[in-house]
Amino acid sequence: MGIITILWEKWREFVRDFSRITLAAMIAPLMYLIVFGWGIRTTMNGQPYLYFLIPGVISLTTMNGSFNAIAQNLNVQRLYEKAFDQVIISPTPLWQFIAGQIIAGALRGIYAGGIILLLVLPVRTGLHFNLLSFFILFLNGAVFSSMGIVVSFLARNHADVPRFSNYFIMPMAYLCNTFFSTDNIPRGAREFIAALPLSQTSRMVRAIASGQPPVLTGIPLLFLYLSLFTAAALFFVYKKKNL
Amino acid sequence: MIGLIHLTRLFEGHAAVDSISLTIGSGEFFGLLGPNGAGKTTTISMLSTLLLPTSGEIRIDGERLTRSRQDLKRKISVITQEYSMRQDMDMDEIMEYQGRLYFLPVRQIRSRTEELFRFAGLTEHRHKTVRKLSGGMKRRLMVCRALLTEPEILLLDEPTAGMDAISRRQMWGLLRRLNEQGLTILLTTHYMEEAQSLCHRVALMHDGRLEDVDTPAHLIEKLGAFAVDELHTEGIRSRYFSRREEAIRCLSGLQGTCTLRDTTLEDVFVERSGRHLI
Repeated sequence: MGIITILWEKWREFVRDFSRITLAAMIAPLMYLIVFGWGIRTTMNGQPYLYFLIPGVISLTTMNGSFNAIAQNLNVQRLYEKAFDQVIISPTPLWQFIAGQIIAGALRGIYAGGIILLLVLPVRTGLHFNLLSFFILFLNGAVFSSMGIVVSFLARNHADVPRFSNYFIMPMAYLCNTFFSTDNIPRGAREFIAALPLSQTSRMVRAIASGQPPVLTGIPLLFLYLSLFTAAALFFVYKKKNL
Repeated sequence: MIGLIHLTRLFEGHAAVDSISLTIGSGEFFGLLGPNGAGKTTTISMLSTLLLPTSGEIRIDGERLTRSRQDLKRKISVITQEYSMRQDMDMDEIMEYQGRLYFLPVRQIRSRTEELFRFAGLTEHRHKTVRKLSGGMKRRLMVCRALLTEPEILLLDEPTAGMDAISRRQMWGLLRRLNEQGLTILLTTHYMEEAQSLCHRVALMHDGRLEDVDTPAHLIEKLGAFAVDELHTEGIRSRYFSRREEAIRCLSGLQGTCTLRDTTLEDVFVERSGRHLI
């Protein structure tokens, strides 16, 4: 099955670049935790701010891990290496290629988030992460992988992916319920930002972590984002006349 | 059998390929010839589904080729003009990835890879990543990759571009052997000598259109099998004759440096397109 082929390809890439991938996944989130969590010692709702920060940073790490694993790589394969041509030419159904990329990207996101979780393990925070948390993080990774595919198909040159990252991914990383609650954002912008996939993920993962019942309406919303980006990716691979 | 029916591809209103209709028989060695910008690569790209036609269609064994026709795509292998390989993979990985994309069992991929690497003289380099390979080795790897899936149709876009004379001859020998085994081959080339030596039939393309489709021998015959070159200060002027006696008669009436020779496919092309190819 084509999905297995793509997972195999991504696995080989992961093994080959293990240290680079692992370090890249760790640096930025670790800095956030050190600077905002341990460095600026503050509290939020009577709790150390670090407790609020950890679920948000893990969510944003899965977002970055998934998006970066797919968008830049696929862009290079398409525009520079032309390796993507071989996929188009081959009999592997293109929907399976897309599905494989989404799953592989989501797994890379989970891996990146898992590293951060392991790093904060020695800090006794009392935060809980269960199967539902990981499912939500996986879904978040899948959303951003599918977004990565679309961005890589839209990109006209190598600079376009980092540019998109600067305009969309980075603002989301800071604004979407990661470093502070979206409740603090002025009305109008608040509703918009709260509906973004990372806001939903952070909110649900944080609720589970602090032992509160999560509002699971975010899950269908994440599926909606996933469906939209996947449909766009499928449109590109099947209908775009010039890939 | 490959059928192109009124195949057209527009780029911003300009027809890179303009309503081409052509049939290529099973087991045929067919050449698409033309200067840069004639539409050869665009045609190959549509045959490999990398580009979709603006209008018209491609039929493989009577069935319409689209990106979702896995059964038809299984029959085709393509050697593109560019290297089209992941730079960070080694040769074994390139072959395994290709085999998996074509749903070949891993055991079969590995045994066939052994065979092809031995044949192409790549065995000792198999653990090198693509970025560390020379241009010639990358070309050979692309041939191995294309043959791994045992295709019925092989599309080659300028397969010998950038190769030295010896490697080019080796490639010709290989392509000839593959064709003798029944493989249908469609190649584009700038090298007229290559087309004349290998192809059963050739199509002359210019500005996206097919100007003529025939055997190299017939095309040469139509122009005149004998050429007389007359050296002028502004270049060489060639005249063509069907019979040797006519050519000799012409030669005897000329002054200055003149030569008599056999007409080549390049002469045909230069006469048709009005400019040199190489």
